[in-house]
Amino acid sequence: MGIKKIAKKDIGNLLHQWGKDYTILVPSTEGDTALTVHGSRFTVHGLWDGSDVNLDWHRNTVKPPKSNFLPPMEEMFRFQKGKEGHSIELPQEERRQLIFGIRPCDARSLRLLDMIFTDVYQDPYYLPKRNSAVLVGLVCLRPYDSCFCTSLGISPGGSDDVDLLLTDIGDEFLIEEISDKGKRLMELTAGLEDATEDDITKASEAKEKAYGKVTRKIDTQHLKDKLLSSFEDETYWEKVAAKCIGCGICTFLCPTCYCFDITDEKVKKQGARFRCWDSCAFSLYTKMPMENPREEKWQRVRQKVCHKFEFYPMSFDVIACTGCGRCIRLCPVNWDICQTLEGIRDRGGDHQ
Amino acid sequence: MNSDGRMQQRLRHEAGALLEQDKVDRIIGFEPGSLKFTTTPLITKIKDDLDRLVINPFIVNNLAVFLPGLKGRIAIVSKGCDSRSIVSLIQDNKVSRDDLVIIGIPCPGMIDLRKVEKLTGKDRDEMDDIIREGDKVVIREGIRDEGYGITPDPYPLTLEVSDVLFDNCLACEFPTPQDYDILLGEPVASRQSAAGESVESQESRVESRGEGDSRAKRLQSEASSERSVSGLQTINYRLLTRQQRWGFWRKEFRRCIRCYACRNICPSCFCKRCFVEESEPQWLMPVPRWQENLMFQVIRNIHLAGRCTDCGECERSCPMNIPLRSLTMEMYNLVGELFNFKAGMDKDAPPLMTHYEQEEAEDLIR
Repeated sequence: MGIKKIAKKDIGNLLHQWGKDYTILVPSTEGDTALTVHGSRFTVHGLWDGSDVNLDWHRNTVKPPKSNFLPPMEEMFRFQKGKEGHSIELPQEERRQLIFGIRPCDARSLRLLDMIFTDVYQDPYYLPKRNSAVLVGLVCLRPYDSCFCTSLGISPGGSDDVDLLLTDIGDEFLIEEISDKGKRLMELTAGLEDATEDDITKASEAKEKAYGKVTRKIDTQHLKDKLLSSFEDETYWEKVAAKCIGCGICTFLCPTCYCFDITDEKVKKQGARFRCWDSCAFSLYTKMPMENPREEKWQRVRQKVCHKFEFYPMSFDVIACTGCGRCIRLCPVNWDICQTLEGIRDRGGDHQ
Repeated sequence: MNSDGRMQQRLRHEAGALLEQDKVDRIIGFEPGSLKFTTTPLITKIKDDLDRLVINPFIVNNLAVFLPGLKGRIAIVSKGCDSRSIVSLIQDNKVSRDDLVIIGIPCPGMIDLRKVEKLTGKDRDEMDDIIREGDKVVIREGIRDEGYGITPDPYPLTLEVSDVLFDNCLACEFPTPQDYDILLGEPVASRQSAAGESVESQESRVESRGEGDSRAKRLQSEASSERSVSGLQTINYRLLTRQQRWGFWRKEFRRCIRCYACRNICPSCFCKRCFVEESEPQWLMPVPRWQENLMFQVIRNIHLAGRCTDCGECERSCPMNIPLRSLTMEMYNLVGELFNFKAGMDKDAPPLMTHYEQEEAEDLIR
């Protein structure tokens, strides 16, 4: 496994080089409309030209990386009605994506999404994009106070789900090859230096320190069973859901939520079919094909929690949460999933 | 004890008495949030919970949003803007005044963490303390991340309150609740500062300076410099060309993900079924293209004519930082200019858009 490094000032060149083969996605603020306070709240779509390098991206983006594989809206095909019936035009194949600076938690979320998109059928929209993408991870040195990745087996310095891993070591980034895909990319990359022992030590110290900065914890032991036994406890769920306003922030911006809705748009004889993000938090969810089986708000809140911590573990033997904390930090009423889970745990029950 | 502390003590006492004497079934207030400098709505029937009630400069939510969904008699903690929303809900027959005990807070304005973050260069969770002391806000030193290029700043840092309050708080005309049963402190006077300058005075200011050909240019640069320190750009339509407005909103609404937080957090958006979700007829595609996203806001805004109280919750809630208040303020001002009407001031008045008076300007109806 080769370990290289690159000066921060040369990152622009590096991305430019990679941009010849990939669509480069980097964390950045969007234009000067200024969204934000954090230098890293948005992932810019499209080909990056190497300019506008924002090196202050130690914090995670608002939009999770699923938006690059399961976009908020996606054209599935176009259709046209002619004399001989309908003709269909499939979308053009997109360029391979390179996601630069993806956090270990977010990289894990894609692994979790893979399970659902390869489970009963192979999703023809998600998988080609996902399989051709390269993930260049970045060690998360400034986790938020809402982050709890370490409780879910993820480390802010973790390399399990990325192809290359970068660590900020001051004026330079250390670059580690993780996967075969990453290795191949490195072989084609010019302008990298070999890392010294000193650099490697610095990086591992930084990772260790980052791990310690994730102070929020949840206890996942027996959680699945406790959720199962609490499922019918209407009083608890009603209390928990009381302040939820039922918007889509926590599901849309959750890196592992994947619900979508399909809509046709037709003008005269032609149109297109789209799939767009949908949310179990909405009262009209699944209303079109049937009824929403979860009429009350507390049932919808329960669904969101149980899907991640009970149903996903039942189907795939893994919790569908990465502890990225977006749902907590972006919630307009500070609804906190960790508190809800704590309440479930404290209920005791038969599954000690 | 500062005034927040005194109000908080009295609030817990009053709320406890209300529950104990069975005057209400429920209390809606604020309790400390799970993250630094946040609070979260507390909706409870249990007296022991009331020890968690807080009043501080971060009680941002407009709690009126919960009223239409709750049954029974309710005591609700209410700032100036919230009380107007409550009155507006009463006007719309969504809530009955008889079921409410309004616990009013004369509001000194809420601290916009985005502004504090921008001014200090630190994120919320990296600050130790944000304390309001009169017209100043003192920020205590944050955790420093040695070796990653964050230069130590002079701490503690003292900021002017006017630099860190929410824009809508700076522009607030009625910080003291319009209607209340209990008022927890002394009434606060209107707080209209430079940020809350009315459109008319901005226009006349520009007017008096503008001359000849350079006027348009000046208007444009002036308009583009209307940027609040929070980073959100508040635009003044009357200073922009139509083309500039399209450009501005195209850019902003491309980020919209249609999470509908702006709608769900809004007390005035009380429809059981929103037009945007109607499929027969389908008014708008659910596809989050910028045109549809903008259209959604425009229609929502029209529905809010005479209901919006400028509480600022839509803009604060937006995870994508879209400056929604630029739209709502335009409607708010228009309603004032055309109808001489301010939302949520008189619970006995009919809702603005549901009645017509003969003396109303005829050119409004065609």
